[in-house]
Amino acid sequence: MIHSLFLINNAGDLFLEKHWKSVISRSVCDYFFEAREKAVEPDNVPPVIRTPHHYLINIYREKIFFVSVIQTEVPPLFVIEFLHRVAETFQDYFGECSESTIKDNVVIVYELLEEMLDNGFPLATESNILKELIRPPTILRSMVNTITGSSNVGETLPTGQLSTIPWRRAGVKYTNNEAYFDVVEEIDAILDKSGTTVFAEIQGVIDACVKLSGMPDLTLSFMNPRLLDDVSFHPCVRYKRWESERVISFVPPDGNFQLMSYHISAQNLVAIPVYVKQNISFFETGSSGRLDITVGPKQTMGKTVEGLVVTVHMPKVVLSANLNATQGTYNYDPVTKILVWDIGKLNPQKLPNLKGSLSLQSGAPKPEENPSLNIDLKIQQLAISGLKVNRLDMYGEKYKPFKGVKYVTKAGKFQVRT
Amino acid sequence: MPYLGSEEVVKELRRALSNPNVQADRLRYKNYITKVIRYMTQGLDVSALFMDMVKASATVDIVQKKLVYLYMCTYASDKPDLALLAINTLRKDCADPNPMVRGLALRNMCNFRMPGMTEYIEQPIVAGLRDKASYVRRVAVLGCAKMHSLQPNTEIDGTIVNELYALLRDPDPVVVVNCLRALEEILKDEGGVVINKPIAHHLLNRMKDLDSWAQSEVLTFLLRYRPRSDDELFDILSLLDAFLLSSHAHVAVATLRLFLHLASAHPTVQADALLRTSAPLLATCGAASRELRFAGLCHVQQVMRSQPGLFGTHYKRFFCGYSEPSYIKFRKMEILVELVNDENVALVLEELRSYCTDVSPELAQAAIAAIGRIARTYSEKCLDILTGLLGLKQDHITSAVIQTFRDLVWFCPQSTAAVCQTVGACVDSPQDSEGKQALLWLLGEHGDQISSAPYVMEGYIDGLKTELSSAVKMELLTAAVKMFLCRPAETQDMLGRLLHYCIEEESDVCVRDRALLYYRLLQRGVEETRKVVTGPKSDPSMSVLTGRQEEPISEWDSTFNTLGPLAGCDLCPQTAATSAADQPSCRAENELLPESTDVTLSSPDDAEEEISLSLGPPLSHETFEKMWLDLETLHRQTLGFPRPRAAPDTLQAALQLVKIQTLAFTPGDTVPWKAYIYTRSTETLILAELLQGDQQAPGSDESLVVSVKQQPVNQHAIRGFPSRSVVYRVCFSQVNQTNYTFVVF
Repeated sequence: MIHSLFLINNAGDLFLEKHWKSVISRSVCDYFFEAREKAVEPDNVPPVIRTPHHYLINIYREKIFFVSVIQTEVPPLFVIEFLHRVAETFQDYFGECSESTIKDNVVIVYELLEEMLDNGFPLATESNILKELIRPPTILRSMVNTITGSSNVGETLPTGQLSTIPWRRAGVKYTNNEAYFDVVEEIDAILDKSGTTVFAEIQGVIDACVKLSGMPDLTLSFMNPRLLDDVSFHPCVRYKRWESERVISFVPPDGNFQLMSYHISAQNLVAIPVYVKQNISFFETGSSGRLDITVGPKQTMGKTVEGLVVTVHMPKVVLSANLNATQGTYNYDPVTKILVWDIGKLNPQKLPNLKGSLSLQSGAPKPEENPSLNIDLKIQQLAISGLKVNRLDMYGEKYKPFKGVKYVTKAGKFQVRT
Repeated sequence: MPYLGSEEVVKELRRALSNPNVQADRLRYKNYITKVIRYMTQGLDVSALFMDMVKASATVDIVQKKLVYLYMCTYASDKPDLALLAINTLRKDCADPNPMVRGLALRNMCNFRMPGMTEYIEQPIVAGLRDKASYVRRVAVLGCAKMHSLQPNTEIDGTIVNELYALLRDPDPVVVVNCLRALEEILKDEGGVVINKPIAHHLLNRMKDLDSWAQSEVLTFLLRYRPRSDDELFDILSLLDAFLLSSHAHVAVATLRLFLHLASAHPTVQADALLRTSAPLLATCGAASRELRFAGLCHVQQVMRSQPGLFGTHYKRFFCGYSEPSYIKFRKMEILVELVNDENVALVLEELRSYCTDVSPELAQAAIAAIGRIARTYSEKCLDILTGLLGLKQDHITSAVIQTFRDLVWFCPQSTAAVCQTVGACVDSPQDSEGKQALLWLLGEHGDQISSAPYVMEGYIDGLKTELSSAVKMELLTAAVKMFLCRPAETQDMLGRLLHYCIEEESDVCVRDRALLYYRLLQRGVEETRKVVTGPKSDPSMSVLTGRQEEPISEWDSTFNTLGPLAGCDLCPQTAATSAADQPSCRAENELLPESTDVTLSSPDDAEEEISLSLGPPLSHETFEKMWLDLETLHRQTLGFPRPRAAPDTLQAALQLVKIQTLAFTPGDTVPWKAYIYTRSTETLILAELLQGDQQAPGSDESLVVSVKQQPVNQHAIRGFPSRSVVYRVCFSQVNQTNYTFVVF
């Protein structure tokens, strides 16, 4: 299925290769480099590249291209999702998925790749199971290893696969039994110049951290389950009960996992937490421009907006920015042409404002297109869709667990056109 | 090797590895081994250390073992004689009490790609198949496939195949799937693993235990199975139902493909499956990873070929974000064009208009072309936008707009007048050769309607010396000759200059030949030239509505969820090669269900067989009027339904699809409402009037009355005409909100 994997950095250096079947020469990557050249920006490299004898499917993450070589027909989503899983596993193990961490941990990387695929077929990809096979590196463990000379490979086999419920290992024991759920919602929206919503939707997930002894059977119910348009669940959830009663009933995996993801689309009204008043204009003469941005709260349900960051992709001719921010700091990177204004907490009494002039390359024509603004924000203790967890019940075990639900709203792909 | 001094490095490492002091210190020893691996992965040739590394494999440390195995697998094929020495250690490890070690050793032994391995690995593999640890069984099962690929031309070992089939019942789900994978590889020449009823049902029942990758693969394998009865079919479908909404996009899509394949005889089931999967598909289109989004969009595009209305209300999900990669933006625009309907057309056009000024010229041009595609149905609004874009005076935009105009006029003749007016008023001329060609084509073809045409063309002829592209020159020649035919007085002089230049001074042979051809043609006389040069002014097949026609699902379901659509081609050599194995079974299924494709075919085709109507050359208003007054009404019929309430453009396009030309409509809601239409049937011209709300005609206040006249009279055709063609009640009911459906009485 997946024949080989090449990792290539932004500069076009191939720094890691792994072959699960016969060795394929590195020269196959020339087709990729050709496409990379044609695309100019690394973002624009098409995910599927056809070559005379192979398909190259690649993903671009954290400035690394994961290029897989495919020889037979495969479902494309399968491969793309698998490559992302590989990247996520690296992230999970090393804290970040970058060229330097991969090079530093090359041994573990090979161990992981060996366990994740055999003969080109995915074997173990669940983080829980992998971690029992290969222990992640930690500072403490590497010290212990240095002293005792022991290895970071599990001596026992993963037990998860042997229990009747494949996602939960048998015989779990905790002194503190606790179950925490995080409702995380991301707003994807496009607002137009006048502030009207062109498009808005909410992508939500419920992440769970369940540390309960034995075989608990949990039931989670919502105050307003009808809100959820299209949901997908972790395989542990009993779908039939959701369909009939709109409650989530499941035997949880041990540890961290994503319980469900959902989607609230244009059919329902999506609340937009902030408004942006902006005026970015370039003068016909004098090679300069003016910028004036104000951010204010809109529908925040009485909560504070935090971590507010405005990012502006400026046209290529903008050389520098001389601005004045009433709150927070701004930074203009003349190389990438990105203006970042880090505001922080939004104070409704005193609205943050960024104002000043832009200087353009002299002699260059006035940019045709106005830049667009990307907004990043965070609201604690609020699910912007209004989703609320009603209660969590546990059956099958005697003890009383600690329970908790946390809500967080973030901006996803949130942009304002100018 | 790019590394200078690699020999030095190898020498140093060998010294270290063979140093007894280092060997005694486990940590230092392992560090050196790690170093060797690091050099190896950087592309340095460290194969000279093979002997030292083999020695290092005799250890209890699993990580060290793994590293050495990795090293051995890489260089085994280069040094087969040395690798044989390592096999003994590996075989010993295969009997280790720790299942992890057993599995590792077995897997790596199978990964040695060198000839003559089979005799050493066969026995451990067979033992591994019966191992009590599932980890070892998983490895052993795939080992069978690896063993087979070592000697691809030998006969297939029947006992191993049988053993693998038996292991399909293994309690461990991964073993089950690995068995399928291994059998598929071993039996590739015989068409892959056979999925019979017991195996299919066993797999279906195990689906819940499998991980998502395995689910996706099993679903693909199940495509080969064909249920015996409808009851069995529906049992299978209801078992798989939950997987349509799987949280993993690849599983949902694989399930959908299986649904479409299994239910090919039940269009309603297919439609229902598509409807249910639209939610996960849309979610994939909004996924965080751009590659997933792209794949999702490609799948949506395929689904829309059969169900264009499915995503009509979700059009906002396909609006482009600023920072999205261009390959996604292109796909989104293609989708937006397809899902336009009466409700969303205004907003979609506004959105597309904003892309027309994108910094990337390719994107801007694609957006303009997209508006042009929509213009085939919603001419007026689009023409306004396109005309507005000309005012921006940007070279690449002007050029793209002119090209769009050319295509529009060809596909949608009713917009000709408006386009000609705009082109005539446009002062800017495109600078690139494609744009110039488009403009020249328009000038030549519709020169009679563009008053300034000869003057614009004169500018081109005067600037001929500086023109570099020979394609533009050729187009200029053709256009000038066409223009000469309709406006001889203004064109004669410049045509002469043009021909003179092209024949005497032009260096490009093709252009010279073309000029000579026209010159000689003109010598034969004007009528002769006219016959040769002028052709139809619009696409004779009148595919006005092709973009909205529903294709049967069978057109695309074979490439659904494959690489083809993502790589930008529908069927590629490799797909053909690998799916060749599936072919016989597919064909057998098609024979079983020949009627499956006919159901969804649109109706106009089968009526055409009975009386064939054709469009023929258009009639002028005067001729029609004269004939209408001269002829007797042959047939009058009350149709029993009211007049269609669609825009004249749409109605005209729809009638053209059933080969009926429209001459005139009364606008809007005026009473009485009238329409004059005509068509040709074998050797005869049929004229008709549609009338509603006239006080004098009985029965016309509620429903349409059709009166038919004919020249010359042909009773067979006249009987056919009202009952078959007009009576295609062009009823623009808003089924699915986007689809105009033709209901046949």
